[in-house]
Amino acid sequence: MKELWDIYKKGIILENPIFVLALSLCPALAVTSSVINALTMGLTVLFVITANNVSVSLIRNLVNPKVRVPVYIVSIATIVTVVQLLLQAYFPLLYKALGIYLALVVVFAIILARAEVFASKNNVIRSFCDGLGMGSGFAIAMVIIGAFREIIGSGTFLGFNVMPASYEAPLLLILPAGGFILIGYLVGGWRMLAQYIEKSKA
Amino acid sequence: MTARQHDEKNNSIFKIASNLAMACFVSGIIIAGVYFITADAAAQKAADLKNTAMKVLVQDADKFDPVEGHEGWFKAEKDGKTIAYVVPSESKGYGGTIKLLVAVTSDGKVLNYDITAHNETPGLGDKANQDPFKSQFKGKKAENLKVVKDPSDKENIQAMTGATISSRAVTNGVKKAVEEVVELTGGK
Repeated sequence: MKELWDIYKKGIILENPIFVLALSLCPALAVTSSVINALTMGLTVLFVITANNVSVSLIRNLVNPKVRVPVYIVSIATIVTVVQLLLQAYFPLLYKALGIYLALVVVFAIILARAEVFASKNNVIRSFCDGLGMGSGFAIAMVIIGAFREIIGSGTFLGFNVMPASYEAPLLLILPAGGFILIGYLVGGWRMLAQYIEKSKA
Repeated sequence: MTARQHDEKNNSIFKIASNLAMACFVSGIIIAGVYFITADAAAQKAADLKNTAMKVLVQDADKFDPVEGHEGWFKAEKDGKTIAYVVPSESKGYGGTIKLLVAVTSDGKVLNYDITAHNETPGLGDKANQDPFKSQFKGKKAENLKVVKDPSDKENIQAMTGATISSRAVTNGVKKAVEEVVELTGGK
């Protein structure tokens, strides 16, 4: 149990996909201009990465190592397409809100990276925990970035005004460039947090 | 079996190809199966969604009928009388085509609109589908559908901060729809 918890935990802080591994930065910029978008995207990725880790782990002994990457991509694409079809049929509004970003999940580096680095070498339960941990880390990072950008850039949080009416929101944070600068600072902050945790362990 | 032997045994191009083909085949079956199960529900939801979208645009209407001779046009009826037209329109925005669904009253006033597809900048141009920008359009006629940057001008449409091109594009799209409806009804 302790071991599985450790696998889960490392994805959130010490190996956070965005702040430490620096993977999937592009979507982190594209959909984080508001908290709700960031959260929806984070949860979608959480689901896809977990499902894909399980499926890759299940088929890991059947796949020829020479074509493993195409096979993993096929697996991710299948999962995303199934999610898309299900959303379309049962939650059309959510489907509309996610728009083209949903299809983009297929090429998220973090999902392929976890399949290659972890799920292809570990059993199903461990891979499941890894996917869950990495997905949670991704979702948490997305929400943090989204919260900063929405509060400072638009003066709202989840659509509600949180700043005084006279607040003139700087455009920069809403634009991708501002998002990049913000992520830079957050990466720095995250490093300090990770160092502190490691020090307190020692 | 050593790693080397394992490698040689699996190295033939046929084995590699069949492995990948197998993966694609399984994936195809799964997707086809899910599609088969969800297709009906999806079509049903899409139709519902379209009706709800039109209902939001013309709240008083109790029935929507297609207009003959105009692809995608609907007339909104209340107690058998046509009160408004729901017209698709499009316009060139900052990030590509913006598609709109515009509700226009028979005498050529904007009732409401909805952006159905767009690629505008998130956080700036995509606010065109929200108040306060959107609420400016209600009741305006074609001649007042013009973008201005003077905050005291209430006759025309105020541009959104940082998204003048998107503001203009949406306004032009709405204007085009209004003009088309006026052409059909003669503005009565």
